[in-house]
Amino acid sequence: METLYPLFTTGAIDNNMNFFYAIFIGMLFGFILERAGFGSSKHIAPVFFFRNLRVSQVMVSAILTCATLLTTAVYMGVLDFNQIFIPTTYIWPYLVGGALFGLGMIMSGWCPGTAVVGFATGKLDAAVFLLGVMFGMSVYFDNFDSLANFANSSNVGRLTIDKLVGGDIYTALIITIFIGIGLSVFMNVMKSIRDKKGEE
Amino acid sequence: MDENKSYWNPIFAGVILGIALFVSFMIAGQGMGASGAFARMTAELSYLYDSAIATNGYAGKYLKNGANALSNWTVIEVFGIFLGGYISAAFAGRIKQSIDKGEDYSSVKRLFWAFVGGVIIAVATRFARGCTSGQALDGAATFSVGAWIFMLAAFGSGFIFANFFKAQWKGVK
Repeated sequence: METLYPLFTTGAIDNNMNFFYAIFIGMLFGFILERAGFGSSKHIAPVFFFRNLRVSQVMVSAILTCATLLTTAVYMGVLDFNQIFIPTTYIWPYLVGGALFGLGMIMSGWCPGTAVVGFATGKLDAAVFLLGVMFGMSVYFDNFDSLANFANSSNVGRLTIDKLVGGDIYTALIITIFIGIGLSVFMNVMKSIRDKKGEE
Repeated sequence: MDENKSYWNPIFAGVILGIALFVSFMIAGQGMGASGAFARMTAELSYLYDSAIATNGYAGKYLKNGANALSNWTVIEVFGIFLGGYISAAFAGRIKQSIDKGEDYSSVKRLFWAFVGGVIIAVATRFARGCTSGQALDGAATFSVGAWIFMLAAFGSGFIFANFFKAQWKGVK
């Protein structure tokens, strides 16, 4: 049997239909982010002080749920995992980009997706953040010639966990579950240490 | 009344988000994104102002052969995020103009840091090929090693730099 999913890349739906679904997928995303509390930077910034673990709890449970469902779809033979878009890994740009991202997040209280929700619900800090993002994009465009070398360095391709350690998608799922559990334990330990110490 | 009461339990919200993300992969072959849409909006706006941007080493790829940078899956999906966020907040009675910050923190300073943080995040997402959604969530759910590199760097840096922003988030739980 031919695999049917992903619907767009297997040709089961055309580009227009894919764009049509995009709006509903986005609406679902925005709705969930708002219900999770991420329409306010007040529910995002506290994670960096280990006051409230909302951000890491939502992220870890979303990752584990989606990874498990994708693996199940592969096991059932309905999903061609090779057609799933996975960004190329660039080690140094990801490390530096990640470090800058963390700084920007604690500074602003937002990331691009949550800020769209914040903007939609009337948060002025989200609107200003998004203006900053667009300004930053044009700064990047204007300086791309000097940044390109670094941005495209240490390219290791479409590197997945199973390729790194050997094994298959099931190995990758098990390792992902362990990373998720490890992160949750770490966050909870840090929070309980902070709770005992009290706020300075 | 405590407004937090009407928010979903975070684990529940995460499971629902994971299911939505799965649906996105099953239909489009890609996960949800956000930052790429802002790169494209910036490119298109720059183009309207001055078409020279079409030859830019980075933004040029969005505008190849006279293409509209906004004719893209992620741009449409981000418009959906706006609508979905609005609908959820409207039903919960949470549409309200405000500036969220710690107690006693100046609004002007808060907006200044929001802007600067936005500029830094824009550059960060171009190096990292995505943000918390397009890189961290999507990548980790599809077993990408890069997603974890990005996430650990982002949270590690956030924990360290948090010490410099205590006043801005004072009393925020």
